[in-house]
Amino acid sequence: MGKGSLKLDGVSKRFRRGTGHDSLAELLSAGVGRLFGRSRRTSHDDDFWALHDVSFEGCAGEAIGLIGPNGAGKSTALKLIAGIMRPDGGMIESVGRVTALIEIGAGFHGDLTGRENIYMNASILGMRKPEVDRKLDAIIDFSGVSSFIDTPVKRYSSGMQARLGFSVAAHVEPDILIVDEVLSVGDVLFRERCIRRMRELVDQGVLLLFVTHHLEQMQSFCSRTVVLDGGRVIFDGNTAPAVARYIAALKHQEDDVDNEDRIARVGGLRFLSDSDESVLTARPEEPLSVEVLIHLTKPIRRLSVEFDIRREIGAHLLNFASVRDGVTYDLAAGESMVRMTLPALPIAGGQYFWRVLLRDDEEQKTVADTDYRFAFVIEDAGRPTGMMCIPHAWVLCDEKARDTNSTLCLVR
Amino acid sequence: MPALANQHPAVELWRFRHVLASLTARELRIRYKQSFLGVGWAICVPMSMMLVFTFVFTRAVKLEQGMQLDMPYALFAYAGLLPWTFFASGLNGCVNSLVANRNLVTKVYFPREVLPLSAIGSSFVDFCVATSVLVVLIFYFHVFGDWTFKPSAAILFLPVIVGVQTIMMGGLGMLLAMGNLFYRDVRQIFSVVIQLWMFATNVVYPLRTDDGWVGRLVSINPMTPIIDAYRSCLFDGRLPVGSPFLFATVFAVVVLVVGWTCFHRAGFLFAERI
Repeated sequence: MGKGSLKLDGVSKRFRRGTGHDSLAELLSAGVGRLFGRSRRTSHDDDFWALHDVSFEGCAGEAIGLIGPNGAGKSTALKLIAGIMRPDGGMIESVGRVTALIEIGAGFHGDLTGRENIYMNASILGMRKPEVDRKLDAIIDFSGVSSFIDTPVKRYSSGMQARLGFSVAAHVEPDILIVDEVLSVGDVLFRERCIRRMRELVDQGVLLLFVTHHLEQMQSFCSRTVVLDGGRVIFDGNTAPAVARYIAALKHQEDDVDNEDRIARVGGLRFLSDSDESVLTARPEEPLSVEVLIHLTKPIRRLSVEFDIRREIGAHLLNFASVRDGVTYDLAAGESMVRMTLPALPIAGGQYFWRVLLRDDEEQKTVADTDYRFAFVIEDAGRPTGMMCIPHAWVLCDEKARDTNSTLCLVR
Repeated sequence: MPALANQHPAVELWRFRHVLASLTARELRIRYKQSFLGVGWAICVPMSMMLVFTFVFTRAVKLEQGMQLDMPYALFAYAGLLPWTFFASGLNGCVNSLVANRNLVTKVYFPREVLPLSAIGSSFVDFCVATSVLVVLIFYFHVFGDWTFKPSAAILFLPVIVGVQTIMMGGLGMLLAMGNLFYRDVRQIFSVVIQLWMFATNVVYPLRTDDGWVGRLVSINPMTPIIDAYRSCLFDGRLPVGSPFLFATVFAVVVLVVGWTCFHRAGFLFAERI
C-alpha cells in the first residue's frame, strides 16, 4: 500500500452500556463481591456494537464521504482510523500521516494568543517548529483573523476560533485527512475557502474522509460515499444513490414515531418511476408518480391531498393541492391510496423534501401533516447549479445561418 | 501514524518530543500569563514555605537535642523544600494531566505519555528558576553568617540526583494520571498522601532512621535518601554512595518501567473511559 492509503477490514467496536466502575468504591465492592463468589453484574448483554464488521478501502487522491443517521458509528469509525481508539475486532491499516479534523482547535487554550495557539496546535498535529515558521503567514492569511493574531483566543468569537483551527489543520500536509462536521462553522466565504483547500489537498494525492450532514456539499465533493447505519456499512459506491440510501435509513427511523390517535394518518409516501418501480432518485426529465397511503379512522367526504416540496437549502419550491385542481376524495374509514403523476420534475439535482398535508375541505381543517420528512433525490450528471433544469439544445451556427441573421446585432 | 503505533513506546515518544516541548511551554505560559508575579511564583512557593518552617523551628519549637544542625536552618529547609516542591507540584500536575486535557485525549492521536511528562517538565523549569534562591541563600549565609560554604567536586553529582528523582516522578506520574482517569478518587487521595509524605521525609527536619517503626517507615521512603543526597553533595562534599540512595535509584527505575508499561498498555482505553 502506498502513502495515503487506508484499509478497514472487518472492523468492530464494542461499547459498554452504563459506566463500568467509575469510583474506587464500586471497584472495591465488585472485587469483594467476586471474592465471595457472587457473579459480576456486567454481562455481555450490556454491550452494544458501535461498529460491526465494517470494511472499506481508500487510496491516495480519493475523496470519500461518510454518512449515516446520528449514532450510526461515523465518529467512532473516524476515531478508530485516527488511532484514538482501538477496534475490538478487525484490522485497520493506514499509511502516512493521518490528520483528524475531528474537532478543530483541539488543544486551543483561551489564555494563549492566536499565534501561540497556532504553534501549539500545529505541533500536536505533527508539525515541527521550522515547518510552522515557514507556513505561519499562510496559516494566518487563510484564517482571516490576522488583525487579532496576538490577542488571546478567549476573546475570539467561536467562528474565529474555528477558522484558526481549520487553517492550522489545513496546512499540516497530511496523507490522510479526516474532516468531521467542521465546516458548519464559519461564514459562507470561509466555507468555500475550506472546500477549495480540501480539493487542493485531494488533487495533491491526499485521501480525504469527509463526514457531514450537509448533503449538497458532500455530493459536489465526494465521488464515492460510504453509508453507515446501526454500525454497519449499508452502501458503498457513487454518492447520489448513497444519499438516497441514507435518506431511506433516516425515513425508516422516523416511521417508528407516528401518531396513532388521529382521524387521518399518512401511512407512507412512495415514488414511482415510469415503469412503476419504487425509486428514491430520478433524473430531472423523467416522468414521476407519487403515491400516498392514507389511513382514516372516520370517513371524510371531501378530502384534499396536498404536497409541499422544499429544497434542502433554500425556500419552499413547489406546491400541489388537489383541491385547487378541483379534486377531492370521498373516502371511507380504512386505507386508501392516492396517486399523483408528473410528466417531469424540471428541477436541478439535489435533495428535495416532501411534506404531505391532508385537509378536510368541508370542515376547513388540516387533519394530517407529515412535515418535510420524505426525501427524494434528483440526480444530475454535472454539479447542481441553479434551481431549474429546463430542456434545451446547443448548436454551432454555420455560415449560411449567420448570413440569414446578418441584420442581427450581437450584444457585446 | 497509527500504523506506527506498534513501535516501542520510547521510540514513539522520541518522535513526538517536539509535542512534549510545546506542551511544556504551554503549561508554563498558561500558568504565568495574567499573573502579576509571573514566573516569580516559582520562587515564591518554596520560599514562603521555607520562611514558615524557619519561624516554626527556630522561634516556636526547638529541635530535639541530637538533631541539631550544623548549618543555618533556613538553608537546610530550602535545600529540602526545593526538590520537594518539584516532586509534589510535578506529581500534582500529572494527576490531572489526562483529565484536564480531555479534548486532546479524545480528539487527537499522540502518545499519551506526553501529557504527564509535560506536567513534570513545567515543574522542572520552576525548579530551575527556584534554584537561583538557593544560590543567593548560600551566598548570604557564607558572607554574613557564621557558616562557611565548602564547595567540592561532589556538586557535579547533583544532576544525577535530579535524574533519579525525575525518573521516579515519571513512573509515579504516569500511574497517577492513569489512576485518576479511571477513578477520580485518586486525586483526593493523592492530595492527602502527598501532605503526609512530606512529613515522612526529611524535608524540613532531619530524620533518624534508627528510631523504631517510624524510623523503618522513613527508611523505606525512597524520597529520604534523595533529599539526603542533595544536602550531602551540596554542603558536606560527600557522594551518596550508601545503600539507601542505591535503593532509591533501583526503586525509581522499577517504578518507571512498571508505570510506563501499564500506562502504555492502557493507553488505548483512555479516549473511551475518560
